[in-house]
Amino acid sequence: MDETVAEYIRRTVLKIPRDEIKMMLQKWGFLSESQLQTLNFHQIKDNISQEVVQLCEENSADIKQAAALDIIYNHIYQNKRMWSVYQMKKSGEELECFDIKDFKKRFKGRLRSALKNVTITFKEYEDNAIWIRVAWGTPYKKPNQYKPSYVVYHSQTPYVFISASVLKSNLPLLCQALIVASNYHDIREMELRSHSLNSLKDIVFKRYSQNFQTYNSKPLQGGNVEPENADIRIVHENRSEKERIHRLNQEVFGDGPQPKLEFAQYKLETMFKSHPKMDVLDKKEPFRCLVKFSSPHLLESLKSLAPAGMADTPISPLLTCIPHKARNYFKIREKKGTFPESFVSP
Amino acid sequence: FNLIPAILFSPPPRQENVDPQKTAFLLRKAWTLYSVTPLYGFRRGRLRDYARLLSAFIAAEKQKGLAVEVGVELDIKVALSSLAELRGSELDQAALLVQLSSRSRASSRSSEDKPVWLGWFCSVFGEDLSENVPEAFTCLPLFLTHGAESYTSLVGRWFQKTFDCCFRRLAISPMNLSWMVAMWAGCKLDRAASAVELVFSMPRLSQPLDISYAIHPEDAKALWDTVQKTPGEITQEEVDVFMDCLYAHFHRHFKIHLSAAKLVKVSTAVASAHCDGIVKILHSQYLPGVLMLLTELAISQIQ
Repeated sequence: MDETVAEYIRRTVLKIPRDEIKMMLQKWGFLSESQLQTLNFHQIKDNISQEVVQLCEENSADIKQAAALDIIYNHIYQNKRMWSVYQMKKSGEELECFDIKDFKKRFKGRLRSALKNVTITFKEYEDNAIWIRVAWGTPYKKPNQYKPSYVVYHSQTPYVFISASVLKSNLPLLCQALIVASNYHDIREMELRSHSLNSLKDIVFKRYSQNFQTYNSKPLQGGNVEPENADIRIVHENRSEKERIHRLNQEVFGDGPQPKLEFAQYKLETMFKSHPKMDVLDKKEPFRCLVKFSSPHLLESLKSLAPAGMADTPISPLLTCIPHKARNYFKIREKKGTFPESFVSP
Repeated sequence: FNLIPAILFSPPPRQENVDPQKTAFLLRKAWTLYSVTPLYGFRRGRLRDYARLLSAFIAAEKQKGLAVEVGVELDIKVALSSLAELRGSELDQAALLVQLSSRSRASSRSSEDKPVWLGWFCSVFGEDLSENVPEAFTCLPLFLTHGAESYTSLVGRWFQKTFDCCFRRLAISPMNLSWMVAMWAGCKLDRAASAVELVFSMPRLSQPLDISYAIHPEDAKALWDTVQKTPGEITQEEVDVFMDCLYAHFHRHFKIHLSAAKLVKVSTAVASAHCDGIVKILHSQYLPGVLMLLTELAISQIQ
């Protein structure tokens, strides 16, 4: 077995938390059940990984199998990576039947015709997701297995999720190979990024509960307001105000759980408007700002701002549009014309 | 703060006897801030003795097993020095520098010393404190450290028991942070500056939320220049107007009341400051001004 393959397998196993190693090796299926029985999973990880490497040696593992183990690890720990979303466009209207064999063949062909040294691995999952791992080399160097790119493609959709490695120069080639393989004619990066791959899918596949803008004629009864506010000092006016805020919040954010995003970024190029009483800045040029919101669960925290009294109700559409505009990077300019208070996001 | 002489933040207050080389080590390091009560019985002439005593103290603590971070292989060498350039006026004490370096027992050459911890006491325009204190006391109310917390603790404990003084972490309130960002945003800088950034934390939410609000330095300065009306000084009212403008601009877009959030960090090309009492000074020109602010904060925490 190649030394570099052995080292790569050893390091991959070391990444796995000790109590998950057995499960992952089983999923991998490269070592037999009887071989797995010989492993002592109660020793330190260093020793476990050495033993795994020895077993792989017995089975003559090559880079293909090592890459397969890496895909399994990254599929389970997908949230450790940052994912960007790309959308592909079809020129024609024909509905072609998706053939996975053709896809793989065309993808590999396109990449290999441009770059000789590249490791390409595919794995299909039950939810129609095709995972692709690409390790990149140069005409003179073998592929760097430690900085691969990952692509997740759901063949029934025009969306591709890419976790590029640091080698961003390979991105155009990767994109090209994708459209050639899937029979699209163009691909563009969306302004949507997150660690939570599932949340990105929720957003572009519209799998979250949305606000359908229907008039909710039945006012929410007091029962929907958080029960712990059974403070007798909250008199009727306050209670109905609380309910109003709660209802509007629900309308704007929807009832169900929000997709999990970690940040949203706004580049503001709008004018500074001073209070007429304040004799301050009155420039003709934009007041340039960059605003970034971060949270372990951004949309949930934004949803709780108005009920907590920190934001007006309804909160700004710049924030609530994130899921249905499927973006978390925005550039905001002043809208010219009759509505100076509204903004345009290109 | 009381009225801060704006002169310290207008261009360029060249302090003639400050050799930028001597103070270069202060820049671009994250300093943890403490307030220190006056030192009793401190003698400027005994720095070598103090260094020896502190060194012995550290070695003894290591033996007791109390200094966790210090490796068994390393000897800690202590150096104490004065930095006369670091003070506001003749009424201030010269700054006192404490340097800990490690020397591996394997190599005995002194050129192998590796600096592991740095701390310095200073007073910049701290007359408010020193003029009310008896002769036997030395006032150096601001203490800045860079390096492992375990060393800070060792050094602090030795100073405490030797000079009967008291150290306290210096917290920086949101109000003080807004003073800092307003003043520093208004500083004139000869080269391209970094953004003026304010970082807020929203309390009491189901999920924590941080907001970073970064303004182009030219635009922030333009705003401050129209707000600051009294020549030669900066007032609380001006700082409030500046902040209100920023809050209003933010609210116009997002409908969020930043005034209800907690300002935790401010960052400009001059310096950055965190509410936990951590400061980074980036520009030598404004070093005296920043230190003066911090000295005043330290004094008000002591009093």
